[in-house]
Amino acid sequence: MSEVILSVAGLEKSYDDVTAVDGLDFEIEKGECFGLLGPNGAGKSTTLAMLEGMEEPTAGSVRYYGAPLPSDYQTRVGIQFQATALQDFLTPFDNLKLFSSFYDDPIPMDQLIEQFRLKDFLHRDSRRLSGGQRQRLLLALALVHNPEIVFLDEPTTGLDPRSRRDLWDVVSDLKADGRTLILTTHYMEEAEVLCDELVILSHGKTLLQGTPEQLITDAGVSDLDTLFLSLTGETLVKTQEVIE
Amino acid sequence: MSAVGRSLRRMKAVFIARNLEYLRDRASFGWNLVFPVLIVFALAVVFSGPPRALFTITTIASDNLPELVEFPGVETIETDRSKALDRLSRQQTDLVIEAVDGSVNYWVNGNSASGAILELLLTYTETRPLKRGETDGDAIRYVDWVVPGILGMNMMYSALWGVGYVVVRYRQSGYLRRLKATPLTKFEFLSAQVLSRLLVTLTASTIVFVGTNLILDYKMVGSIWLLFLIALMGGLAMITLGLAIACRTESKEFADGLLNAVTFPMLLLSGVWFSLDGSPEWVQMFAQVLPLTHVLEAARAVMLDNAGFTDIAIHLTVLVGFCFVGMGLSIKLFKW
Repeated sequence: MSEVILSVAGLEKSYDDVTAVDGLDFEIEKGECFGLLGPNGAGKSTTLAMLEGMEEPTAGSVRYYGAPLPSDYQTRVGIQFQATALQDFLTPFDNLKLFSSFYDDPIPMDQLIEQFRLKDFLHRDSRRLSGGQRQRLLLALALVHNPEIVFLDEPTTGLDPRSRRDLWDVVSDLKADGRTLILTTHYMEEAEVLCDELVILSHGKTLLQGTPEQLITDAGVSDLDTLFLSLTGETLVKTQEVIE
Repeated sequence: MSAVGRSLRRMKAVFIARNLEYLRDRASFGWNLVFPVLIVFALAVVFSGPPRALFTITTIASDNLPELVEFPGVETIETDRSKALDRLSRQQTDLVIEAVDGSVNYWVNGNSASGAILELLLTYTETRPLKRGETDGDAIRYVDWVVPGILGMNMMYSALWGVGYVVVRYRQSGYLRRLKATPLTKFEFLSAQVLSRLLVTLTASTIVFVGTNLILDYKMVGSIWLLFLIALMGGLAMITLGLAIACRTESKEFADGLLNAVTFPMLLLSGVWFSLDGSPEWVQMFAQVLPLTHVLEAARAVMLDNAGFTDIAIHLTVLVGFCFVGMGLSIKLFKW
Protein backbone atom coordinates (compact mmCIF):
# COMPACT_ATOMS: atom_id res chain seq x y z
CA MET A 1 0.00 0.00 0.00
CA SER A 2 1.33 3.47 -0.95
CA GLU A 3 2.31 5.91 1.74
CA VAL A 4 0.42 9.21 2.08
CA ILE A 5 2.95 12.05 1.75
CA LEU A 6 0.59 15.02 2.04
CA SER A 7 -2.87 15.13 3.55
CA VAL A 8 -5.25 18.06 3.42
CA ALA A 9 -8.18 18.50 5.80
CA GLY A 10 -10.76 21.27 5.84
CA LEU A 11 -8.43 23.58 3.96
CA GLU A 12 -9.67 27.15 3.58
CA LYS A 13 -8.15 30.42 2.42
CA SER A 14 -9.88 33.78 2.44
CA TYR A 15 -8.67 37.22 1.36
CA ASP A 16 -10.80 39.96 2.95
CA ASP A 17 -14.33 38.93 1.93
CA VAL A 18 -13.27 36.59 -0.90
CA THR A 19 -13.04 32.85 -0.20
CA ALA A 20 -10.48 31.44 -2.63
CA VAL A 21 -10.39 27.92 -1.16
CA ASP A 22 -13.39 26.57 0.65
CA GLY A 23 -12.97 23.38 2.66
CA LEU A 24 -10.80 20.95 0.68
CA ASP A 25 -10.05 17.40 1.85
CA PHE A 26 -7.73 15.03 -0.04
CA GLU A 27 -4.62 12.92 0.28
CA ILE A 28 -1.60 12.66 -2.01
CA GLU A 29 0.36 9.43 -2.18
CA LYS A 30 4.10 9.27 -2.42
CA GLY A 31 5.37 8.93 -5.98
CA GLU A 32 2.13 9.85 -7.74
CA CYS A 33 1.40 12.74 -10.04
CA PHE A 34 -1.48 14.62 -8.50
CA GLY A 35 -3.38 17.19 -10.52
CA LEU A 36 -5.47 20.16 -9.43
CA LEU A 37 -7.79 20.92 -12.30
CA GLY A 38 -10.09 23.84 -12.88
CA PRO A 39 -10.64 27.04 -14.80
CA ASN A 40 -9.04 30.36 -13.91
CA GLY A 41 -10.16 31.49 -10.46
CA ALA A 42 -11.04 27.97 -9.28
CA GLY A 43 -8.51 28.17 -6.42
CA LYS A 44 -5.81 25.95 -7.91
CA SER A 45 -2.85 28.25 -7.36
CA THR A 46 -3.97 29.23 -3.85
CA THR A 47 -4.34 25.56 -2.89
CA LEU A 48 -0.94 24.85 -4.36
CA ALA A 49 0.63 27.75 -2.43
CA MET A 50 -0.68 26.27 0.84
CA LEU A 51 0.64 22.81 -0.09
CA GLU A 52 4.02 24.39 -0.89
CA GLY A 53 4.11 26.08 2.51
CA MET A 54 4.20 29.51 0.85
CA GLU A 55 0.79 30.58 2.22
CA GLU A 56 -0.79 29.95 5.61
CA PRO A 57 -4.31 28.48 5.50
CA THR A 58 -7.11 30.52 7.03
CA ALA A 59 -8.51 27.24 8.40
CA GLY A 60 -7.75 23.54 8.09
CA SER A 61 -4.37 21.91 7.73
CA VAL A 62 -1.74 20.48 5.41
CA ARG A 63 0.20 17.58 6.94
CA TYR A 64 3.42 15.97 5.76
CA TYR A 65 3.57 12.23 6.51
CA GLY A 66 0.77 12.86 9.00
CA ALA A 67 2.60 15.60 10.91
CA PRO A 68 2.63 19.41 10.66
CA LEU A 69 4.96 20.80 7.99
CA PRO A 70 8.54 20.62 9.34
CA SER A 71 10.73 23.73 9.62
CA ASP A 72 12.97 22.48 6.80
CA TYR A 73 10.00 21.74 4.52
CA GLN A 74 11.35 24.19 1.89
CA THR A 75 14.40 21.98 1.41
CA ARG A 76 12.18 18.95 0.73
CA VAL A 77 10.07 20.55 -1.96
CA GLY A 78 10.87 22.07 -5.34
CA ILE A 79 8.57 24.73 -6.74
CA GLN A 80 8.08 25.90 -10.27
CA PHE A 81 6.00 29.04 -9.93
CA GLN A 82 3.48 30.02 -12.55
CA ALA A 83 5.08 33.40 -13.26
CA THR A 84 8.61 33.80 -12.01
CA ALA A 85 11.00 36.41 -13.18
CA LEU A 86 14.71 35.80 -12.92
CA GLN A 87 17.37 38.39 -12.35
CA ASP A 88 17.99 40.45 -15.46
CA PHE A 89 21.24 39.87 -17.34
CA LEU A 90 21.89 36.47 -15.72
CA THR A 91 22.27 33.36 -17.88
CA PRO A 92 20.85 29.89 -17.15
CA PHE A 93 24.38 28.95 -16.02
CA ASP A 94 24.48 31.88 -13.56
CA ASN A 95 21.04 30.98 -12.25
CA LEU A 96 21.90 27.32 -11.77
CA LYS A 97 25.05 28.33 -9.92
CA LEU A 98 23.14 30.80 -7.75
CA PHE A 99 20.37 28.39 -6.77
CA SER A 100 22.81 25.49 -6.26
CA SER A 101 24.63 27.68 -3.72
CA PHE A 102 21.54 27.81 -1.53
CA TYR A 103 21.74 24.08 -0.71
CA ASP A 104 24.25 21.79 0.98
CA ASP A 105 24.10 18.93 -1.47
CA PRO A 106 22.79 20.11 -4.84
CA ILE A 107 22.52 17.94 -7.92
CA PRO A 108 25.69 18.45 -10.05
CA MET A 109 25.11 21.20 -12.59
CA ASP A 110 26.24 19.04 -15.50
CA GLN A 111 23.52 16.54 -14.66
CA LEU A 112 20.83 19.24 -14.58
CA ILE A 113 22.08 20.75 -17.83
CA GLU A 114 21.86 17.34 -19.47
CA GLN A 115 18.53 16.33 -17.93
CA PHE A 116 16.75 19.57 -18.83
CA ARG A 117 18.57 20.06 -22.16
CA LEU A 118 19.93 23.50 -21.27
CA LYS A 119 23.24 23.25 -23.09
CA ASP A 120 22.24 25.13 -26.25
CA PHE A 121 21.27 28.28 -24.36
CA LEU A 122 23.33 27.89 -21.20
CA HIS A 123 25.10 31.24 -21.59
CA ARG A 124 22.27 33.24 -23.07
CA ASP A 125 20.69 36.15 -21.16
CA SER A 126 17.61 34.68 -19.44
CA ARG A 127 15.48 37.48 -20.88
CA ARG A 128 16.18 36.14 -24.39
CA LEU A 129 14.95 32.59 -23.74
CA SER A 130 11.88 31.19 -25.46
CA GLY A 131 8.92 30.14 -23.35
CA GLY A 132 9.87 26.47 -23.48
CA GLN A 133 13.53 27.11 -22.71
CA ARG A 134 12.53 29.30 -19.81
CA GLN A 135 10.19 26.67 -18.35
CA ARG A 136 12.91 24.02 -18.62
CA LEU A 137 15.30 26.32 -16.79
CA LEU A 138 12.72 27.06 -14.08
CA LEU A 139 12.08 23.34 -13.67
CA ALA A 140 15.82 22.70 -13.37
CA LEU A 141 16.01 25.41 -10.68
CA ALA A 142 13.13 23.77 -8.83
CA LEU A 143 14.99 20.44 -8.94
CA VAL A 144 18.44 21.75 -8.08
CA HIS A 145 18.35 20.37 -4.51
CA ASN A 146 16.85 17.01 -5.46
CA PRO A 147 13.51 17.56 -3.69
CA GLU A 148 11.09 14.81 -2.70
CA ILE A 149 8.01 16.70 -3.89
CA VAL A 150 7.84 18.91 -6.99
CA PHE A 151 5.13 21.52 -7.45
CA LEU A 152 4.31 22.72 -10.94
CA ASP A 153 1.88 25.61 -11.31
CA GLU A 154 0.45 25.58 -14.83
CA PRO A 155 3.82 24.57 -16.27
CA THR A 156 2.79 24.66 -19.92
CA THR A 157 0.62 27.78 -20.00
CA GLY A 158 1.64 29.99 -22.90
CA LEU A 159 3.90 27.39 -24.52
CA ASP A 160 3.68 26.36 -28.15
CA PRO A 161 2.60 22.73 -28.82
CA ARG A 162 6.15 21.50 -29.40
CA SER A 163 7.47 23.08 -26.20
CA ARG A 164 4.47 21.75 -24.29
CA ARG A 165 5.17 18.19 -25.40
CA ASP A 166 8.86 18.63 -24.63
CA LEU A 167 7.96 19.63 -21.10
CA TRP A 168 5.58 16.67 -20.75
CA ASP A 169 8.56 14.42 -21.55
CA VAL A 170 10.61 16.09 -18.85
CA VAL A 171 7.79 15.77 -16.31
CA SER A 172 7.27 12.12 -17.27
CA ASP A 173 10.96 11.49 -16.58
CA LEU A 174 10.57 13.04 -13.14
CA LYS A 175 7.62 10.74 -12.50
CA ALA A 176 9.69 7.78 -13.57
CA ASP A 177 12.30 8.83 -10.98
CA GLY A 178 9.67 8.20 -8.31
CA ARG A 179 9.19 11.81 -7.25
CA THR A 180 5.83 13.05 -6.06
CA LEU A 181 4.52 15.64 -8.52
CA ILE A 182 1.71 18.04 -7.81
CA LEU A 183 0.58 20.20 -10.68
CA THR A 184 -2.16 22.58 -11.59
CA THR A 185 -3.45 22.88 -15.11
CA HIS A 186 -6.49 23.84 -17.09
CA TYR A 187 -5.46 21.69 -20.05
CA MET A 188 -7.42 18.45 -20.22
CA GLU A 189 -4.99 16.59 -22.39
CA GLU A 190 -2.16 17.47 -20.03
CA ALA A 191 -4.07 16.19 -17.03
CA GLU A 192 -4.97 12.94 -18.81
CA VAL A 193 -1.39 12.33 -19.97
CA LEU A 194 0.46 13.22 -16.78
CA CYS A 195 -1.78 12.77 -13.73
CA ASP A 196 -2.47 9.60 -11.73
CA GLU A 197 -5.05 11.32 -9.55
CA LEU A 198 -7.11 14.44 -10.11
CA VAL A 199 -9.13 16.86 -8.05
CA ILE A 200 -11.46 19.04 -10.09
CA LEU A 201 -12.03 22.40 -8.44
CA SER A 202 -14.63 25.07 -8.99
CA HIS A 203 -15.02 28.22 -6.89
CA GLY A 204 -12.62 26.81 -4.30
CA LYS A 205 -14.54 23.57 -3.72
CA THR A 206 -13.94 19.99 -4.82
CA LEU A 207 -16.31 18.89 -7.56
CA LEU A 208 -14.85 15.44 -8.20
CA GLN A 209 -11.80 13.39 -7.33
CA GLY A 210 -10.36 10.22 -8.90
CA THR A 211 -8.13 8.94 -11.66
CA PRO A 212 -8.73 10.53 -15.08
CA GLU A 213 -10.05 7.23 -16.50
CA GLN A 214 -12.31 6.63 -13.51
CA LEU A 215 -13.83 10.12 -13.69
CA ILE A 216 -14.55 9.83 -17.41
CA THR A 217 -15.93 6.28 -17.13
CA ASP A 218 -18.13 7.00 -14.12
CA ALA A 219 -19.63 10.05 -15.77
CA GLY A 220 -20.14 8.27 -19.11
CA VAL A 221 -18.60 11.17 -21.08
CA SER A 222 -15.93 11.27 -23.75
CA ASP A 223 -13.44 13.54 -21.99
CA LEU A 224 -12.80 15.62 -18.90
CA ASP A 225 -13.82 18.88 -20.51
CA THR A 226 -17.27 17.50 -21.32
CA LEU A 227 -17.48 16.21 -17.77
CA PHE A 228 -16.61 19.62 -16.34
CA LEU A 229 -19.09 21.34 -18.62
CA SER A 230 -21.83 18.97 -17.51
CA LEU A 231 -21.04 19.66 -13.86
CA THR A 232 -20.71 23.43 -13.90
CA GLY A 233 -21.91 24.82 -17.18
CA GLU A 234 -18.40 26.29 -17.58
CA THR A 235 -15.86 25.11 -20.08
CA LEU A 236 -12.18 24.43 -19.62
CA VAL A 237 -9.63 25.22 -22.29
CA LYS A 238 -8.80 22.14 -24.32
CA THR A 239 -5.23 21.67 -25.23
CA GLN A 240 -6.20 20.79 -28.75
CA GLU A 241 -8.02 24.09 -29.16
CA VAL A 242 -4.96 25.98 -28.04
CA ILE A 243 -2.76 23.97 -30.36
CA GLU A 244 -5.01 24.68 -33.31
CA MET B 1 29.64 23.11 7.16
CA SER B 2 28.45 25.29 10.06
CA ALA B 3 25.26 27.34 9.96
CA VAL B 4 27.32 30.52 9.70
CA GLY B 5 29.34 29.03 6.84
CA ARG B 6 26.15 28.08 4.99
CA SER B 7 24.74 31.54 5.57
CA LEU B 8 27.89 33.21 4.22
CA ARG B 9 27.85 30.91 1.19
CA ARG B 10 24.28 31.94 0.35
CA MET B 11 25.03 35.64 0.91
CA LYS B 12 28.08 35.39 -1.33
CA ALA B 13 26.03 33.76 -4.10
CA VAL B 14 23.39 36.53 -4.03
CA PHE B 15 26.12 39.18 -3.79
CA ILE B 16 27.87 37.83 -6.89
CA ALA B 17 24.62 37.46 -8.82
CA ARG B 18 23.63 41.06 -8.07
CA ASN B 19 27.07 42.33 -9.09
CA LEU B 20 26.88 40.40 -12.36
CA GLU B 21 23.47 41.87 -13.04
CA TYR B 22 24.79 45.38 -12.43
CA LEU B 23 28.01 44.99 -14.40
CA ARG B 24 26.21 43.53 -17.41
CA ASP B 25 23.69 46.35 -17.40
CA ARG B 26 26.11 48.58 -19.27
CA ALA B 27 23.71 51.50 -19.58
CA SER B 28 23.22 51.84 -15.81
CA PHE B 29 26.85 51.11 -15.07
CA GLY B 30 28.08 53.71 -17.53
CA TRP B 31 25.59 56.32 -16.43
CA ASN B 32 26.62 55.98 -12.79
CA LEU B 33 30.14 56.94 -13.78
CA VAL B 34 29.49 59.39 -16.58
CA PHE B 35 26.74 61.49 -14.99
CA PRO B 36 28.66 62.88 -11.99
CA VAL B 37 31.75 63.48 -14.12
CA LEU B 38 29.67 65.49 -16.57
CA ILE B 39 28.18 67.58 -13.77
CA VAL B 40 31.55 68.28 -12.16
CA PHE B 41 33.02 69.42 -15.49
CA ALA B 42 29.95 71.45 -16.38
CA LEU B 43 30.08 73.30 -13.06
CA ALA B 44 33.82 73.77 -13.33
CA VAL B 45 33.29 75.49 -16.69
CA VAL B 46 30.26 77.53 -15.62
CA PHE B 47 31.94 78.81 -12.46
CA SER B 48 35.44 79.08 -13.80
CA GLY B 49 35.48 82.91 -13.99
CA PRO B 50 36.34 85.33 -11.18
CA PRO B 51 33.92 85.54 -8.23
CA ARG B 52 30.94 87.86 -8.57
CA ALA B 53 31.65 91.52 -7.66
CA LEU B 54 29.40 91.40 -4.60
CA PHE B 55 30.43 91.85 -0.99
CA THR B 56 29.25 89.27 1.45
CA ILE B 57 29.08 89.95 5.15
CA THR B 58 28.34 87.24 7.67
CA THR B 59 26.70 88.47 10.85
CA ILE B 60 26.76 86.70 14.18
CA ALA B 61 24.27 88.85 16.14
CA SER B 62 21.29 90.32 14.33
CA ASP B 63 20.49 93.35 16.53
CA ASN B 64 22.15 96.79 16.18
CA LEU B 65 24.19 95.79 13.18
CA PRO B 66 26.41 98.43 11.55
CA GLU B 67 24.98 100.55 8.75
CA LEU B 68 27.40 98.85 6.38
CA VAL B 69 25.19 95.78 6.06
CA GLU B 70 22.46 97.95 4.49
CA PHE B 71 24.76 99.24 1.72
CA PRO B 72 23.74 98.44 -1.84
CA GLY B 73 25.59 95.44 -3.24
CA VAL B 74 26.18 93.94 0.16
CA GLU B 75 24.71 90.51 0.85
CA THR B 76 24.41 89.35 4.45
CA ILE B 77 24.18 85.89 5.93
CA GLU B 78 23.53 85.15 9.58
CA THR B 79 25.08 82.17 11.31
CA ASP B 80 27.05 81.20 14.43
CA ARG B 81 30.59 82.36 15.08
CA SER B 82 32.29 79.05 14.31
CA LYS B 83 30.63 78.65 10.92
CA ALA B 84 31.12 82.33 10.13
CA LEU B 85 34.87 82.14 10.74
CA ASP B 86 35.08 78.93 8.72
CA ARG B 87 33.43 80.75 5.84
CA LEU B 88 35.82 83.67 6.24
CA SER B 89 38.90 81.47 6.17
CA ARG B 90 37.64 79.95 2.88
CA GLN B 91 36.79 83.45 1.61
CA GLN B 92 33.18 82.43 1.15
CA THR B 93 32.42 85.68 2.98
CA ASP B 94 34.37 88.94 3.00
CA LEU B 95 33.73 90.16 6.53
CA VAL B 96 32.29 88.76 9.76
CA ILE B 97 30.52 91.16 12.11
CA GLU B 98 29.23 90.73 15.65
CA ALA B 99 27.51 93.57 17.54
CA VAL B 100 27.89 93.21 21.33
CA ASP B 101 27.39 95.58 24.29
CA GLY B 102 27.78 98.88 22.48
CA SER B 103 30.75 97.77 20.40
CA VAL B 104 31.33 95.90 17.17
CA ASN B 105 33.63 92.93 16.72
CA TYR B 106 34.72 92.15 13.19
CA TRP B 107 37.02 89.70 11.45
CA VAL B 108 38.67 89.91 8.07
CA ASN B 109 40.72 87.47 6.06
CA GLY B 110 44.19 88.92 5.58
CA ASN B 111 44.36 87.41 2.08
CA SER B 112 41.11 88.98 0.89
CA ALA B 113 41.08 92.30 -1.03
CA SER B 114 37.28 92.52 -0.71
CA GLY B 115 37.67 92.14 3.04
CA ALA B 116 40.14 95.03 3.15
CA ILE B 117 37.69 97.32 1.29
CA LEU B 118 34.83 96.39 3.60
CA GLU B 119 37.04 96.96 6.63
CA LEU B 120 37.83 100.46 5.38
CA LEU B 121 34.13 101.20 4.81
CA LEU B 122 33.29 99.89 8.27
CA THR B 123 35.82 102.08 10.02
CA TYR B 124 34.47 105.17 8.22
CA THR B 125 30.79 104.47 8.84
CA GLU B 126 30.66 102.88 12.28
CA THR B 127 30.62 105.19 15.35
CA ARG B 128 30.82 102.46 18.01
CA PRO B 129 34.16 101.11 19.15
CA LEU B 130 35.53 98.44 16.82
CA LYS B 131 37.48 95.34 17.76
CA ARG B 132 39.39 93.64 14.96
CA GLY B 133 40.10 89.96 14.44
CA GLU B 134 41.85 88.30 11.53
CA THR B 135 41.94 84.89 9.94
CA ASP B 136 43.79 83.68 6.93
CA GLY B 137 43.16 81.06 4.28
CA ASP B 138 42.95 80.99 0.53
CA ALA B 139 39.73 81.37 -1.36
CA ILE B 140 38.15 78.14 -2.46
CA ARG B 141 36.70 77.79 -5.91
CA TYR B 142 33.09 76.79 -6.29
CA VAL B 143 34.23 73.51 -7.77
CA ASP B 144 36.23 72.78 -4.59
CA TRP B 145 33.11 73.31 -2.57
CA VAL B 146 30.64 71.54 -4.85
CA VAL B 147 32.60 68.35 -5.62
CA PRO B 148 31.73 66.68 -2.27
CA GLY B 149 28.11 67.63 -2.95
CA ILE B 150 28.09 65.98 -6.35
CA LEU B 151 29.84 62.86 -5.11
CA GLY B 152 27.34 62.68 -2.24
CA MET B 153 24.40 63.23 -4.56
CA ASN B 154 25.61 60.48 -6.87
CA MET B 155 26.01 58.18 -3.89
CA MET B 156 22.51 59.02 -2.72
CA TYR B 157 20.90 58.20 -6.07
CA SER B 158 22.99 55.10 -6.57
CA ALA B 159 22.25 53.82 -3.06
CA LEU B 160 18.57 54.61 -2.83
CA TRP B 161 17.46 53.74 -6.35
CA GLY B 162 19.97 50.96 -6.87
CA VAL B 163 18.59 49.06 -3.90
CA GLY B 164 15.09 50.41 -3.30
CA TYR B 165 13.89 50.30 -6.87
CA VAL B 166 15.59 46.98 -7.62
CA VAL B 167 14.04 45.21 -4.62
CA VAL B 168 10.57 46.44 -5.59
CA ARG B 169 11.20 45.25 -9.17
CA TYR B 170 12.22 41.84 -7.84
CA ARG B 171 9.07 41.70 -5.74
CA GLN B 172 6.76 42.80 -8.52
CA SER B 173 8.20 40.28 -10.94
CA GLY B 174 7.85 37.39 -8.48
CA TYR B 175 11.60 36.85 -8.11
CA LEU B 176 11.51 37.43 -4.35
CA ARG B 177 8.75 34.82 -4.04
CA ARG B 178 11.01 32.41 -5.89
CA LEU B 179 13.82 33.14 -3.43
CA LYS B 180 11.46 32.68 -0.50
CA ALA B 181 11.08 29.06 -1.57
CA THR B 182 14.78 28.49 -0.89
CA PRO B 183 16.70 28.36 2.41
CA LEU B 184 17.89 31.94 1.82
CA THR B 185 16.90 34.09 4.82
CA LYS B 186 15.75 37.72 4.80
CA PHE B 187 18.93 38.77 6.56
CA GLU B 188 21.12 36.99 4.02
CA PHE B 189 19.26 38.46 1.07
CA LEU B 190 19.23 41.99 2.47
CA SER B 191 22.87 41.86 3.55
CA ALA B 192 23.94 40.70 0.10
CA GLN B 193 22.01 43.57 -1.49
CA VAL B 194 23.62 46.07 0.90
CA LEU B 195 27.15 44.78 0.32
CA SER B 196 26.74 44.57 -3.43
CA ARG B 197 25.44 48.12 -3.72
CA LEU B 198 28.05 49.40 -1.28
CA LEU B 199 30.79 47.96 -3.48
CA VAL B 200 29.25 49.60 -6.55
CA THR B 201 28.76 52.95 -4.83
CA LEU B 202 32.24 53.13 -3.35
CA THR B 203 33.89 52.02 -6.58
CA ALA B 204 31.97 54.56 -8.67
CA SER B 205 32.66 57.35 -6.17
CA THR B 206 36.36 56.52 -6.07
CA ILE B 207 36.66 56.48 -9.86
CA VAL B 208 34.82 59.80 -10.19
CA PHE B 209 36.81 61.36 -7.33
CA VAL B 210 40.20 60.36 -8.70
CA GLY B 211 39.32 60.99 -12.33
CA THR B 212 37.96 64.50 -11.85
CA ASN B 213 40.69 65.46 -9.39
CA LEU B 214 43.39 64.57 -11.90
CA ILE B 215 42.04 67.23 -14.23
CA LEU B 216 40.47 69.84 -11.95
CA ASP B 217 42.90 69.49 -9.05
CA TYR B 218 40.31 70.50 -6.47
CA LYS B 219 41.12 71.07 -2.83
CA MET B 220 41.71 67.99 -0.69
CA VAL B 221 43.74 68.79 2.41
CA GLY B 222 42.49 66.12 4.82
CA SER B 223 42.90 62.37 5.25
CA ILE B 224 41.84 60.29 2.28
CA TRP B 225 41.09 57.38 4.63
CA LEU B 226 38.78 59.53 6.70
CA LEU B 227 37.01 60.58 3.52
CA PHE B 228 36.69 56.90 2.59
CA LEU B 229 35.21 56.17 6.02
CA ILE B 230 32.62 58.92 5.48
CA ALA B 231 31.76 57.49 2.06
CA LEU B 232 31.45 54.01 3.60
CA MET B 233 29.16 55.11 6.40
CA GLY B 234 27.19 57.46 4.17
CA GLY B 235 26.73 54.76 1.55
CA LEU B 236 25.56 52.27 4.16
CA ALA B 237 23.15 54.78 5.70
CA MET B 238 21.52 55.55 2.38
CA ILE B 239 21.45 51.96 1.15
CA THR B 240 19.67 50.83 4.31
CA LEU B 241 17.28 53.76 3.92
CA GLY B 242 16.54 52.51 0.39
CA LEU B 243 15.92 49.02 1.74
CA ALA B 244 13.58 50.35 4.42
CA ILE B 245 11.57 52.14 1.73
CA ALA B 246 11.42 49.00 -0.41
CA CYS B 247 10.82 46.45 2.33
CA ARG B 248 7.06 46.16 1.76
CA THR B 249 6.36 48.29 -1.31
CA GLU B 250 4.80 46.33 -4.15
CA SER B 251 4.36 48.96 -6.83
CA LYS B 252 7.24 50.47 -8.79
CA GLU B 253 5.23 53.67 -9.24
CA PHE B 254 4.72 54.00 -5.48
CA ALA B 255 8.38 53.23 -4.89
CA ASP B 256 9.20 56.00 -7.40
CA GLY B 257 7.13 58.42 -5.37
CA LEU B 258 8.64 57.39 -2.04
CA LEU B 259 12.20 57.54 -3.34
CA ASN B 260 11.59 60.98 -4.82
CA ALA B 261 10.05 62.13 -1.55
CA VAL B 262 13.27 61.15 0.22
CA THR B 263 15.83 62.25 -2.37
CA PHE B 264 14.31 65.61 -3.27
CA PRO B 265 14.62 67.22 0.21
CA MET B 266 18.19 65.93 0.44
CA LEU B 267 19.00 67.36 -2.96
CA LEU B 268 17.73 70.78 -1.90
CA LEU B 269 18.45 70.97 1.81
CA SER B 270 21.59 68.95 2.45
CA GLY B 271 23.93 71.50 0.91
CA VAL B 272 24.67 69.76 -2.37
CA TRP B 273 24.72 72.94 -4.47
CA PHE B 274 24.85 75.81 -2.01
CA SER B 275 25.50 76.45 1.66
CA LEU B 276 22.55 76.59 4.02
CA ASP B 277 24.38 78.88 6.45
CA GLY B 278 22.11 81.80 5.66
CA SER B 279 18.86 79.85 5.59
CA PRO B 280 16.19 79.94 8.35
CA GLU B 281 16.99 78.00 11.49
CA TRP B 282 14.17 75.51 10.99
CA VAL B 283 15.56 74.62 7.56
CA GLN B 284 18.97 74.01 9.07
CA MET B 285 17.41 71.90 11.83
CA PHE B 286 15.42 69.87 9.33
CA ALA B 287 18.56 69.32 7.28
CA GLN B 288 20.14 67.60 10.27
CA VAL B 289 17.69 64.68 10.01
CA LEU B 290 18.87 63.99 6.44
CA PRO B 291 21.80 61.58 6.12
CA LEU B 292 23.26 63.40 3.13
CA THR B 293 23.70 66.55 5.26
CA HIS B 294 26.02 64.67 7.59
CA VAL B 295 27.92 63.08 4.72
CA LEU B 296 28.53 66.47 3.09
CA GLU B 297 29.37 68.39 6.25
CA ALA B 298 31.87 65.71 7.26
CA ALA B 299 33.32 65.39 3.74
CA ARG B 300 33.77 69.17 3.35
CA ALA B 301 35.32 69.43 6.79
CA VAL B 302 37.90 66.80 5.79
CA MET B 303 38.49 67.99 2.24
CA LEU B 304 38.56 71.74 2.84
CA ASP B 305 39.51 72.20 6.51
CA ASN B 306 41.66 69.15 7.24
CA ALA B 307 39.25 67.99 9.96
CA GLY B 308 40.23 64.96 12.02
CA PHE B 309 38.25 61.99 13.26
CA THR B 310 37.05 63.70 16.43
CA ASP B 311 35.90 66.75 14.45
CA ILE B 312 33.52 64.64 12.39
CA ALA B 313 32.69 61.98 14.99
CA ILE B 314 29.22 63.39 15.55
CA HIS B 315 28.41 63.07 11.83
CA LEU B 316 29.72 59.50 11.74
CA THR B 317 27.69 58.64 14.83
CA VAL B 318 24.52 59.95 13.23
CA LEU B 319 25.25 57.94 10.06
CA VAL B 320 25.79 54.77 12.11
CA GLY B 321 22.42 55.46 13.76
CA PHE B 322 20.78 55.73 10.33
CA CYS B 323 22.35 52.37 9.37
CA PHE B 324 20.99 50.58 12.43
CA VAL B 325 17.52 52.07 12.09
CA GLY B 326 17.36 51.40 8.33
CA MET B 327 18.62 47.82 8.53
CA GLY B 328 16.51 47.05 11.61
CA LEU B 329 13.34 48.32 9.94
CA SER B 330 14.17 46.46 6.74
CA ILE B 331 14.66 43.11 8.45
CA LYS B 332 11.63 43.59 10.68
CA LEU B 333 9.23 44.68 7.94
CA PHE B 334 10.65 42.95 4.85
CA LYS B 335 8.15 41.00 2.79
CA TRP B 336 9.33 38.63 0.05
